[in-house]
Amino acid sequence: MYHNSSHKKFWIFDTEDAVELLRCEANRKFRSKMSTSGKPGLKEAMFLERHEERVLFRYYEKRLLDFCNVFKPAMPKSVVGTAIMFFRRFYLNNSLMEYHPRIIMFTCAYLSCKVDEFNVSSTQFVGNLVQETPAGQERVLEQILEFELLLIQQLNFHLVVHTPYRPMEGLLIDIKTRYPPLENPESLRKSADDFLTRASTTDTGLLFSPSQIALTAILNSASRAGLSMDSYLTECMGMKDNKETLLKLHESMRRMKKLIKEYELPKPEEVNAYKEKLERVHAEFNTTTNKRKRGYEEDGHVAKEPRIAEEEEWTDEDLL
Amino acid sequence: MDQYSILGRVGEGAHGIVFKAKHIETGQTVAMKKVSLRRSEEGFPNQALREIQALQEIEDNPYVVRLKEVFPHGKGFVLVFDFMLSDLSEVIRNTQRPLTQSQVKGYMMMLLKGVAFLHQNNIMHRDLKPANLLISSSGHLKIADFGLARLFSSQQQRLYSHQVATRWYRAPELLYGARKYDEGVDLWAVGCVFGELLNSSPLFPGENDIEQLCCVLRVLGTPTLHTWPEMVELPDYNKITFKENPAIPLEELVPDSSPQAVHLLSSFLVYPPKQRCPATQALLHPYFFTPPLPAHHSELPIPPPPRQRSQAPPTHFSVHLPLENSLVDPVMLRHHAPCL
Repeated sequence: MYHNSSHKKFWIFDTEDAVELLRCEANRKFRSKMSTSGKPGLKEAMFLERHEERVLFRYYEKRLLDFCNVFKPAMPKSVVGTAIMFFRRFYLNNSLMEYHPRIIMFTCAYLSCKVDEFNVSSTQFVGNLVQETPAGQERVLEQILEFELLLIQQLNFHLVVHTPYRPMEGLLIDIKTRYPPLENPESLRKSADDFLTRASTTDTGLLFSPSQIALTAILNSASRAGLSMDSYLTECMGMKDNKETLLKLHESMRRMKKLIKEYELPKPEEVNAYKEKLERVHAEFNTTTNKRKRGYEEDGHVAKEPRIAEEEEWTDEDLL
Repeated sequence: MDQYSILGRVGEGAHGIVFKAKHIETGQTVAMKKVSLRRSEEGFPNQALREIQALQEIEDNPYVVRLKEVFPHGKGFVLVFDFMLSDLSEVIRNTQRPLTQSQVKGYMMMLLKGVAFLHQNNIMHRDLKPANLLISSSGHLKIADFGLARLFSSQQQRLYSHQVATRWYRAPELLYGARKYDEGVDLWAVGCVFGELLNSSPLFPGENDIEQLCCVLRVLGTPTLHTWPEMVELPDYNKITFKENPAIPLEELVPDSSPQAVHLLSSFLVYPPKQRCPATQALLHPYFFTPPLPAHHSELPIPPPPRQRSQAPPTHFSVHLPLENSLVDPVMLRHHAPCL
C-alpha cells in the first residue's frame, strides 16, 4: 500500500527546488572531497558543472529507457518504471562524477528485474547488450554485481517503488463503472500511457504520488481529446464541496505538466563534450576507488579469488 | 555494526548465519541475520531482496517479526530483528503433554491475525510452517522468515515460481505446478499448521513431491472436475494420475478435536484456493468463541530455546580474587526471603 510505504515516507519531496538542492549538494560534496584529497594539478574547470551533469543524466536515462524498451523478453512497464526511479533516487545523493552512470544504469535495471520479480538470469540480462562480445557482456555483468550492493545501500534498502501504472488501471476501471458520461474510456489509454512514459523521465515521481500522476495522465489525455472530465472530479471523486483539495489537485497537475513540458532531449554535441569531461574526471580521480571496488579493469579479468578470500570475515571472530 | 555486541550464534539458515546480539546503547537483545553475498552469479540473492522488501513496507504488527534495521556489512549485509526465544516447531515437539484446546486456539488466533495483516498488506508469505512461527519470551507468536514472501497483485497475470513453501505445507495447486496462485497457498499452510497443533504431528508428511500429493489425496480424496474445476488448467495436471480415492472424514484425521475445530480445519483444507477461508473470516469462526476460550499469551508454554549451539564466551573467573566478592550478602535478601 502506498500510504504506508517507504516510497511515500522517504522519497517524496515537497518542491522541485528541494530535489535540485540535493543534487547540487552531491555535486559540491564530490568536488570538495577531491579538493581535500590533495591531488596535484587539480583544476575546478575539470569538474562537471551541475547543469552539465543534468544533461548527461538525461542522456543516460534515455539510454536506460531504450535498453529496457528493446529488452527481450519484453520488460513489463512497472519494471522499467522502477529501474528509472532507482536511477533517479541514486543520483539524488551521488554525483555522476563519483559513480559512472553507464554502469549504474544497468545495475538499476538489473535490480529492478529482481525486485519486481521479472525473472531473468544474469546471463540472459547481459545477453541483451547485443553490441557487446560475450567477453564484454561478462565484464558488464561483473561490474553490475560489484555495484549492486552499493546501489541497494544508496536506496537505503527501500526497494519497493510504486509506479503509476496500476493506479491508472484502477482509474480506468473506476471511470468505466462509475462515470457513464465518458463513452469510451479505453480511448484515453494510449495518450495517457505516453504521458506516464514522459513523466517517468522527469522529477514527477519524486514529487507526487503515483495515483496523482495517473489521474493527471488520464485527465490530460481527455482534455487532448476535447473531453471534459471536471464532473468526474466533482461528482465521483467527491470534490464538489471540497474546493481546497480540488485547487491543490489542479496546482499539482499544473506542476506536473510544466515538468514534462520542460523536458528536452540533450543535444548530441553537448552530450559529447560533457561525456569527454566525465571520462576524464573518472580517469583522473576514481582510479583508487575502482581498484578497490573491482580490480578487473586493470587486470583484464575477473577478480573472483580475492573476493572469496574476503568472504569469511564475519564468522566466529565476531564472537570474541 | 559497532553498535552491537555479539552474544552467540543462534542458528544457520539457508542464506545466512543468525547471531544473538545486544544493542549496546539500549541493551536490547536482537537477532542478527547476516547474509553474505558469496559465490553468487546472480548477485544479491532474490530471497533476501524479498525479505527486505516485504518487511520494509509493512507497519508494526504484534504478530509479525519486526525488522529493526538493515545495514551493509563487508561483502554482505545484516538484518536486525527482535530476538525471539523459540519457534512453534519446538513448542509442538517439546511439550510434555499435548497442547490444551485453549492453547491451540491461542496460537491459531495469533497466527491468523498475523496472516490477515500480511494479506491485507498484499503480502503472501509462501512459506508458513511451524519453524517460521517464532515464539517470544512473553509467549507471543510472530510470523518470520520472509525469504519467500512476495507482494502480490490482484491482477493475477504474473507468473510465480511454484517451487515455494516447504513440502509438507505446500498447497495442492503448487504440487500440480501452478505458476499463478494467490494468498490461498498461505491459507492451506495455516490449515496444515492447525492440524499439526491438534495432533502434535504433521498432517501431510510426504517424503517427496509425488508422495506429498498422495498424502493430500489420501485424505481429501482424488480431486474431481466437480470438486476442483480449475485443476485441469494446472501445468502438471496431465502428468500424474492417481487411483480414484474417496475422502476420509476429517474427524478421523484429527481425533480428539472438537467439531468446531474440525469445521475450521475443513474450511482451510479444500482444493480450490478461492474457496479457502480467508484469515479475517476465520478469526470470526465460532471455534474461537466457544469454551474453552483461546489462551492468553501468558498461559502458553515458553519452550527452551532450540538446541543452543551458542559458543557463549566463558564467564571470567579469577582465582586471585577473594571468594566473598562473588557471593551474595544474605542481608540483601532479607526483604525477599523472610525465613532467613
